[in-house]
Amino acid sequence: MSMNFALAVLASSIQSGTSLLYGTLGELVGERAGIVNLGLEGTMLIGAAVGVAAASAADDPYAGVAAAALAGTAANLLLGYVVIGRRANQLAAGLTLLLFGFGASALIGGPFVGAVVPSLPDLDVPGIGGFDALIWLAVPAAILLWCLIFRTRWGLAVRATGEDPAAAFAAGHRPDRLQYQALALGGALGGIGGAHLSLALALSWSEGMTAGRGFIAIALVIFARWNPLWAVPSALVFGGAEALQLQLQATGVDVSPFLMTMIPYLLTLLVLVLWGFNRRSAAPAALGRGFLGVE
Amino acid sequence: MNRRAFLAAAPLIFAALPAAAKTVLKVGAIYVGSVHDYGYNQAMHDGLLAMKQAIPGVVLLEAENVPETAEATRVMEGMIQQGAKLIFATSFGHQQFAFDLAKQHPDVFFEHAGGWMMAPNFGNFFGATQAAWYPMGIAAGKMTKTNTLGFVAGVPIGFVIGNIDAFAMGARSVNPKAQVRVVVTGGWSDKAKEAAAANALIDQGADVVTMHVDSPATVIQTAEKRGVYSIGFQSLAARRLAPKGWITGLGFTWGPFMTATARSVIAGTFKPGFVREGLGQMMAIAPFGPAVPPATRALVMAAAAKVEKGFNPFTGPLTDNTGTLRLKAGETLGGDKMGDLDWYVDGVIGKPK
Repeated sequence: MSMNFALAVLASSIQSGTSLLYGTLGELVGERAGIVNLGLEGTMLIGAAVGVAAASAADDPYAGVAAAALAGTAANLLLGYVVIGRRANQLAAGLTLLLFGFGASALIGGPFVGAVVPSLPDLDVPGIGGFDALIWLAVPAAILLWCLIFRTRWGLAVRATGEDPAAAFAAGHRPDRLQYQALALGGALGGIGGAHLSLALALSWSEGMTAGRGFIAIALVIFARWNPLWAVPSALVFGGAEALQLQLQATGVDVSPFLMTMIPYLLTLLVLVLWGFNRRSAAPAALGRGFLGVE
Repeated sequence: MNRRAFLAAAPLIFAALPAAAKTVLKVGAIYVGSVHDYGYNQAMHDGLLAMKQAIPGVVLLEAENVPETAEATRVMEGMIQQGAKLIFATSFGHQQFAFDLAKQHPDVFFEHAGGWMMAPNFGNFFGATQAAWYPMGIAAGKMTKTNTLGFVAGVPIGFVIGNIDAFAMGARSVNPKAQVRVVVTGGWSDKAKEAAAANALIDQGADVVTMHVDSPATVIQTAEKRGVYSIGFQSLAARRLAPKGWITGLGFTWGPFMTATARSVIAGTFKPGFVREGLGQMMAIAPFGPAVPPATRALVMAAAAKVEKGFNPFTGPLTDNTGTLRLKAGETLGGDKMGDLDWYVDGVIGKPK
């Protein structure tokens, strides 16, 4: 395997993996607070559609990214209201958000299918290469999120809510408010992940364009053991698997393209199975359970 | 006015309404994607609009983003309930669902695009795309400087493999050193994968990229971004996406066929057929881009004329890229046999399945 090939795969992994990383970070924050968002795919789709709509309207891709973040927040807050405010089952509510996201994004993106959208420009750093702003910000975002969760009081309160909301409440925190805040932040990150897909990779909107990346991100949160720093290599590995199979096809390797398309998913399964042997569970203890305490 | 006078006058009011309010035929159409995709679905939609223009009194019922699942049956059934007597199932994967529905509704006529099934009320149509790719190959073979051509394929069905093979044969006929690299994305429309696939091909040295996916837009835009040439497919509209790198492209012109089919249903003379028409009838070549020199344009148009007269690049003796003889001298491959094609010709790198 030549240096050229390795570099090409690396560049492609970084591009594919960035939207996954933002999605993973978005899901991670919510799960740290105890809320599973199975509708992350819906949030990312809404982000992608709103990103395209706003970028076209303002003729500025960065406006698109900002709008996508806001839309993602709104989508997650919707989930928050249903799950926290109305005490609905998290898994069911998440799946409902997924379906809602499909429809809402199709509605918003409808007028823009096939349209040429202002795309995120590449920012060159001599010696390293040219990537768009979201890619440059991805790893710093993960580091910042780590600091936020593990080095601030807010982060401590969020983690406490995810482990034992009754204890957090007894300590004087408001678990429901913290969960809303975590979901809001997570939604912004998820929306940005969707926007990267439409404004940087595909350069357009088409229905269902996340193609399952939201679900992969949910798996990657487990793979990363709910730690934003581990999310970076996880997203790179999965993005790399997809990039690898396409680059391998381009070199003309003599393997059926159907088998190649399976590589990223097989890799995810393999990793999850191997990881499962490690008994020490890193999941927040109260993940998925609602806090039925005092209003 | 009293009630009796009103009742007497009412029929006169209705008779005075313009005659065009009478519906001659309700036609239903289902698309796998959006009709604004600069690609396959847009071409189908344009053809149906042309049919509607040509025959006054035709009502068109359309449904976009109908997946290739049992959902398609539900949508088509809904159109039949609304009175549709002719249904166009425009995507390859709609075939089985449309076919089963046709058995349940013998008084409704179905036309499927791209498959092979037939029944008294079920016909099949498509462009004879394979031979039309030959002139595209010539254009690519002449324009490439790296002698590497990239092809992004959606799903490697026989007809797509035939397109790749014809493209390669055309390129090799003017440039014996040209090679075609293929990347399969696994679906007709996954934009992020198409972008990554195009990038992978360009990373491997391709300086002309083309595709067989539902919408050429992403591949063409990626090629334009990386500064390489592109050749379009499906719809003639895609040229404006690559002002510098566009070479040429193929597009479908479904209008005349759809109009003729609708007329046959109205007249009661519908005959199911396996219709494959090529350049000059169901297909056309897009205008050339600014970078294409006149000599190359002439070569391409000359080859197109040959194809229109019946030239078939799949004529034996023909060996595949592993050296096996696939077509004996004098043998030709075409029509529905193309659906079984599973080998690449010399010049294409890799294996199709």
